[in-house]
This record gives sequence, structure tokens and C-alpha cells, in this order.
Amino acid sequence: MTAFLKKEWMEWIRSGRLTVLTLVFVLFGIMNPAIAKLTPWLMETLSDSLADTGLVVSEVTVNAMNSWAQFYKNMPMGLLIFILVCGGCFTAEYDRGTLIPVVTKGLSRRKIVGAKAVALFGAWTTLYFLFYGITYGYNAYFWDNSIAEHVFLGAACTWMFGVWVISFFILFSAVAKNSAQVLFGTGSAAVGAYVLGMFPRLASFLPARLMEGMALLQGINEAADYSVSMAAAGVMSIVCLALAVWCFDRRRL
Amino acid sequence: MEMLTLSHVKKSFGEKEVLKDVTFSVPEHTVFGFVGQNGAGKTTTMKMILGLLPCGGGKITVNGSPVCYGNTPTNQYVGYLPDVPEFYSCMTPMEYLRFCGEITGMRAGEIKSRSEELLRLTGLHGEKRRIKGFSRGMKQRLGIAQALFGHPSLLICDEPTSALDPVGRKELLDILESAKEQTTVLFSTHILSDVEKICDEIAFLHEGRIAIRGSLEEVHKRRKASGTELETERGEDAGRLFKAFPFLKRTGRNILLLEDPERLPGILHFIADKNLRILRIERQETTLEDLFMEVVGK
Repeated sequence: MTAFLKKEWMEWIRSGRLTVLTLVFVLFGIMNPAIAKLTPWLMETLSDSLADTGLVVSEVTVNAMNSWAQFYKNMPMGLLIFILVCGGCFTAEYDRGTLIPVVTKGLSRRKIVGAKAVALFGAWTTLYFLFYGITYGYNAYFWDNSIAEHVFLGAACTWMFGVWVISFFILFSAVAKNSAQVLFGTGSAAVGAYVLGMFPRLASFLPARLMEGMALLQGINEAADYSVSMAAAGVMSIVCLALAVWCFDRRRL
Repeated sequence: MEMLTLSHVKKSFGEKEVLKDVTFSVPEHTVFGFVGQNGAGKTTTMKMILGLLPCGGGKITVNGSPVCYGNTPTNQYVGYLPDVPEFYSCMTPMEYLRFCGEITGMRAGEIKSRSEELLRLTGLHGEKRRIKGFSRGMKQRLGIAQALFGHPSLLICDEPTSALDPVGRKELLDILESAKEQTTVLFSTHILSDVEKICDEIAFLHEGRIAIRGSLEEVHKRRKASGTELETERGEDAGRLFKAFPFLKRTGRNILLLEDPERLPGILHFIADKNLRILRIERQETTLEDLFMEVVGK
């Protein structure tokens, strides 16, 4: 598996995938505090034109909470870009037939899925915590992170949501014929969880709850409110990966 | 010992029965030509040997072990060159061969020496470009290098020469022929001259069955001669011969074909008696192409 993992690493670097995603996540990480910091200036700039329409802009004060709110707004976009950029991670290999020489050398198919999963989860974790770390650092520099509760736990919940989505992505990649099907399947799983989350009885059992990190920071939700969703996301991710291995063992390359 | 055996192998895709009953075996250290028309099922058969397609019936063994679909432990004995080989385009040939060595669990020193040896053999030594800039012929060369990398007991090549120019084809055939000392080669093709050059044994696949199988000599003996051709100097002499011996086939204005060699003395007497002017009398040897055409019924 190490050999295939090395190949994945080489592909991530040489294809530019890692560079693009790093730039996106760094940019998003900087954008969160930047937008919060620029909000008073923007409001002041716009105050004259807003006054013409009858809106009076009073003095706007921002703190770390505004930056964290931006963080939770940008996170789904970051995850979406991550999935789109990695969309062909499996299917491009099916199309080109590059897995055939590998499999016919006796490398177990499980090791291929395993290496790809490690690469995806590793990249997601690194990029996500880079995104989090940049926001956290700027917030600490400009304001005070202590006004928010459970900052790390809130971030860990959304990270777990990403892991859950990526597990579905791996499952659909093991089954689907092309990247459009993979993206459709992954998107449907995420939207499905979000829609089901609208039912109050189901909400606390679904991973969609993990996206409500801001409520945790604001003290609206307790840390314990997320434990079931966290466990559900963990169990579903393991099931998805087990199914992906089972399906990949049987798929035609 | 048989390196590869296929016993009553069947395969269908939906309603279409591609392989009806394929049975043959490949002895160790032979170059085995697997011949058939396009679409006859050669690639399907090879993919089943590699566990890339499930078997619709029958049994396949490699080195005495049964082949199973999906995770295929028998692939540890096999080197495979696909018809259109594709590799990771971001790698250089040296990096790709190192990757091949690592996935087969070879030691670093062995990987380095084997890579250099094979790159030299395939003419890719010193090639520092990444694979994405390679022509199909260069990919074919790298394909043979990666297929031979782990010292496979069975080398399977799917139409390896079809994309190569005459020089590249000759070089590849030489590599396959020399590989016979260390390995067993199964290669599919429809280029019959390649088969005649290097194969010890051949099998013709037609309509889902093995139509002919045996050593090259055995296959040639099936039809000793396809006939005797007679060419006259004048068209009217050919006409007189054709009138006297209606079993002759007229293949040209002055050319006649005799299929039954036992009737030749009678014809020669007639030629001598009538003093016909003959340009040539030539016995036609059966080529694999004739046999192939006979098998496919054309």
C-alpha cells in the first residue's frame, strides 16, 4: 500500500491538485477574518448611498465571532471545491486503464482503495486544519477567540462532516462509471442528509447537524448535542468504506 | 509442466456468446500465439486469465492455481502488456518501473538494476521525459518493460506489435523470443507473419472455439500444399488446358490452379503431347494466412 500511496502523493503534487486546493483553502482561511475586518470600512463606504435609500448605518463593531461565522459559511464551499477537484480520482484511472497494469501485478484491490482513502482523508484533514489554523491565528491576532465557546470542537464537527461526505465520495467512486455519477451520488447523499435534518426527530441523528458549528460557538447548542451525529457520521463512514472495498473488489476495470 | 490451462471456458455478454468452449494449454517456456479475427474474443480470454473479467463457465489455471475474478493471487506469476498500455503520465519511465518494483515487493537495489536492464533492453534508457509526452510506440516499449519487470512465469501480451513501425516490431519480437528462456509467452495477434517468426505453438480462435491448435509444424502439416499453379505463355493454351481438365481453376487469363496434386502427371503429359508453352509450374505452400482464411471460411 505504501508504494501506491507514494504514487498518489506524486500525482497530487504533479497534477497541481494539491497546489490548487492549498491556494483555495489558504485564501478562504484569510478571507474569513479579512471580510470581518473589512466589514466596518465597507459599511462606512456604503453609508452615503445607503442613506439615500433611507437606511442609516450606525457604527459597526466586529469581533472573532464574525470571522468564525464567515468560516462556517465558507466551509461548505471549500468542501465542494475539494470534491470537484478530486472528482476523477478513481474514475480517471478507470477511463485511462492505468489500474490494469497495477492489478495484474498482483496488488490487492483493497490496498488501492485504502491508499486512495488515506490520501483523500489526509489531504482533507491537512487542508481543513490549515483553513482553520489561518482563521484561528488571525482571529487571535485581531480579536479574542475566547469569546467563542468550543472553538476546536465546532471545527472538529465540520471536519467530521467532510470525512462523512468523502466516505460517500469513495463509495460512489468504487461503484460509478464516471465522475458525473460520483458527484451526483455524493451530492445526493449530502442533500438527502440535509433535507432529512429538517425533521426535528431525525436532526440529532444525522451528520447534517455537524454543520451547525456556529450554534456551538454561540452557546446555543451544547457539546453533547453533537455526540450522536458525530457517532452516526463515524459509523456511516466506516460502512461506506467497507462497502467501497466490497464493490471495488467486484468491479470491472 | 503446463503454465496455463483453459478448460471449457465460456463467456457471454448479455445475449452474445463470445466464448462457447475454449480449451487449450500453454507449456512452460514456449511462445504461444493466440490468433483470431478482430472481435473473436482474444482480449476477453486474456482478461479472464488475468481475473479482470469473471468466467462464464469452465476453469482457468495459472501455474497450477485456479484463477479467480477480482482479487487474483495468480497474477503474481503474470506480466501483462495490454493492447493500449496506459501508465501514470506524471511519472518518468524510471519512476514507473520503481513503482512496479515496489508494488511487487522487490528490494531497492534489485529495482534499480532491473529498471536499468529493462530500459536498456527496450531502448528507453536515458529517457528523462514524463510518460505524458510518449508516443504509442514508446508506451508499448515501456509496457513490455513493466510486464517483464517482476520476472513473471507467464507473460501475456495483447496484440503487442499492432502499433509499432517495422523496426519497433522486429525489436519487440526479438525481446519476446529471447524472453522465452526465462518465461512463457502468450501473445494474441492477427498479424500472422509475427506468429510464423517467433511462435512455437499456436491456437486459432474462431466463433468462440479453438478451431486449430498445435505446434507451428503440426498446423502447417494440416494442409501440405494449397495447390500447383500453372502459367502459360499464351492465353489460348490456358484455355485448351482448362477445356481438357475442367477441375482446374482459372485464377487469371494465363493462370490455372490445380488443387489435387495427384492429377499433375496427366496434365504434364498433355502439355508435352500438345507442345503447350509454359512459363512456370509452381507448387504453392500453405501459409498461415491461407489456413486462417480457411478457418474463418473466406
